Amino acid sequence: MKDTIVQGLEQAYYNLVHMIAEFLPRFVVMLVIIAVGLLAAYVIRYVLRALLRLTKLDRVSEDAGASRVLRMADLPSMTELLSRSIFWITWIGFILIGVSILGVAGLQEQISRLFRFLPEIFIAMLILFLGLVLANFLSRAALLASVNAGYRSAKIVSWSIRFVIWILAISMALEELGLARQTVIAAFSIVFGASMLGLAIAFGLGGQGLARQMLERHLGESAKEKYKEPQPL
Amino acid sequence: MADETFLSDDLLRQLMSVGEVDLLVGILSHNSASTMRTAARLIEHSLQVNFVRQRMAIISVDGGAVEDGGVDSSGSDGGAKNGPSKGLSSLRTIHRIAAGFNSAPSAGLALRTFLSSADLLRAKACAVVSPATASTAPDWIANLLRPALRDNYDFVAPMYSRHKFQGLLARNLLYPMTRALFGRRIRELYSDEWAFSSKLGSFCLGQEVWNEEPVRTRPEAWMGISAMASDFRCCQVFLGEKPQPPAGSGPDIVEALRQTVGSLFWCLETRQNEWLGRDGSEPVPTFGPDHAVTTESSDLDLGHIFEMFKSGVKQLEPVLNSILSSETHTNVQTIAQLDQQGFRFGTDLWVKVLYDFAASYHRSVINRDHLVQALVPLYRGKICSFLIEHANSAPADMEADSETLCMEFERQKPYLIEKWKAGVEVKS
Repeated sequence: MKDTIVQGLEQAYYNLVHMIAEFLPRFVVMLVIIAVGLLAAYVIRYVLRALLRLTKLDRVSEDAGASRVLRMADLPSMTELLSRSIFWITWIGFILIGVSILGVAGLQEQISRLFRFLPEIFIAMLILFLGLVLANFLSRAALLASVNAGYRSAKIVSWSIRFVIWILAISMALEELGLARQTVIAAFSIVFGASMLGLAIAFGLGGQGLARQMLERHLGESAKEKYKEPQPL
Repeated sequence: MADETFLSDDLLRQLMSVGEVDLLVGILSHNSASTMRTAARLIEHSLQVNFVRQRMAIISVDGGAVEDGGVDSSGSDGGAKNGPSKGLSSLRTIHRIAAGFNSAPSAGLALRTFLSSADLLRAKACAVVSPATASTAPDWIANLLRPALRDNYDFVAPMYSRHKFQGLLARNLLYPMTRALFGRRIRELYSDEWAFSSKLGSFCLGQEVWNEEPVRTRPEAWMGISAMASDFRCCQVFLGEKPQPPAGSGPDIVEALRQTVGSLFWCLETRQNEWLGRDGSEPVPTFGPDHAVTTESSDLDLGHIFEMFKSGVKQLEPVLNSILSSETHTNVQTIAQLDQQGFRFGTDLWVKVLYDFAASYHRSVINRDHLVQALVPLYRGKICSFLIEHANSAPADMEADSETLCMEFERQKPYLIEKWKAGVEVKS
């Protein structure tokens, strides 16, 4: 009896020592990987920031209106945002690799799932950025054209274009991520369809006079309208 | 040497059959074949009377009229040669050459074709006209060519007699700004007719700019500014009353600003090494009156123009905020609150607005075409102020006012240089 207990304790002790002997080197490896990852992330951030400054991304971002949105959200410049994001993504990647070395059951599967999901997150972010740029460019073009043509509701036209492109970009990004796919498609169809139907009804019923004026102005009296202003050249 | 590769075989054949000439006249147009024929006949008549001993050729460059270029094609040589008309005094044959394009014609491509032809023909002096000008005032061509041929001027700009409310873009923006920055007092850079020497023609032909949009749409302004910036000999010739295009045929105010101001800003960008170091301005020799303004009544819709200015300043607030300095923007917003009777767009503010726009164009704070379009409401405001101030002014008063504006542009040039050289400014 006594021998059995002692033997059990010895076995438990040996197992513990064995586990610690197995775990410690892995833990050290994990720490090394995380430290190397931190260094690599810093280097990548430095190189990326220099490259983005060379390509004048901030100017493009300013032109596209993306910088304005970032400032509104109290975020740094586009160059800084991208280089910081890449820093964290790189370092988190190394941390996850390091953690997977520990061999904790169940964690491996979650980590690999997260890695499989990363490309989709990137594509969704890209879609959102391009949507933002396109929305800003087209809405400003519409605003300028409407103001210079003398339309009173230039801002409404501009914001409508911006809104439609944003909705489209957000829907596409969510679709890419696979989040509530059916709900997103249904919601987009309902919102877009309702907007168009609303506009059609509004123009059809409420804007008969306005439509007639616009048609007359464009088809019948364009030359006369132009000559209300002095010839520029 | 001309880049012969982009000229068609047919055009090269015609040029080779002509040989060398002293004078070359180009009629540049787009899809105006019928007008071209009349214009070419009238120009030929004028040249025969005015240049008796010179070898001359007329080239019609018409984008879209590929079949015959719009010029009479009689004769076995495909229209390259036409004998002198009966009773005229020219001792030489005037050749007619036709050039057309199959695709994507533009004013820039037409001018490039003309310059290449002039280079191959070794023409000493060249003139460019539109079919409309050639039809209404063919003698203008001789007046333009004479200074280039006999007095060795490299660039001959036209001057016109205008109604006092005509050409306001040139009077309030293009002329004073170009004068202040490039230092030469040439009034009409954006015109359909001008002349130049073979030296300037070859210089321009050798520039790698022909695919740039401002050169494609407004090559005449680029050529004039190149002449000023590179210190070619420039002069002006008074031609007479500028014919008005038929109602609705000319570019509207937005398109006119996009083409002319866009072209000017682009020239500032590409020619900054020349203008940044210049101070003041000097007059250029002028043949004929220095200026002429007539005072017929006009029926301009002042209230409509003023409303478009006010509405533009209000609705484009975020766009203008990214272009103008804070102080200038505030001042613009302040005058937009005034009523029509008390409204004045001061010269000081107008110059600051334009210099802010030029500097913002340089820094590309927003899309450059959008930036130029954002100037339209402010230009309307300036025009409205001008029309109110000069409703009953005599031509001499208007001229004095224009001179004041020009001097203000010159006085504030250091402001533009400072903003131009400043780094990228990111506004909050």
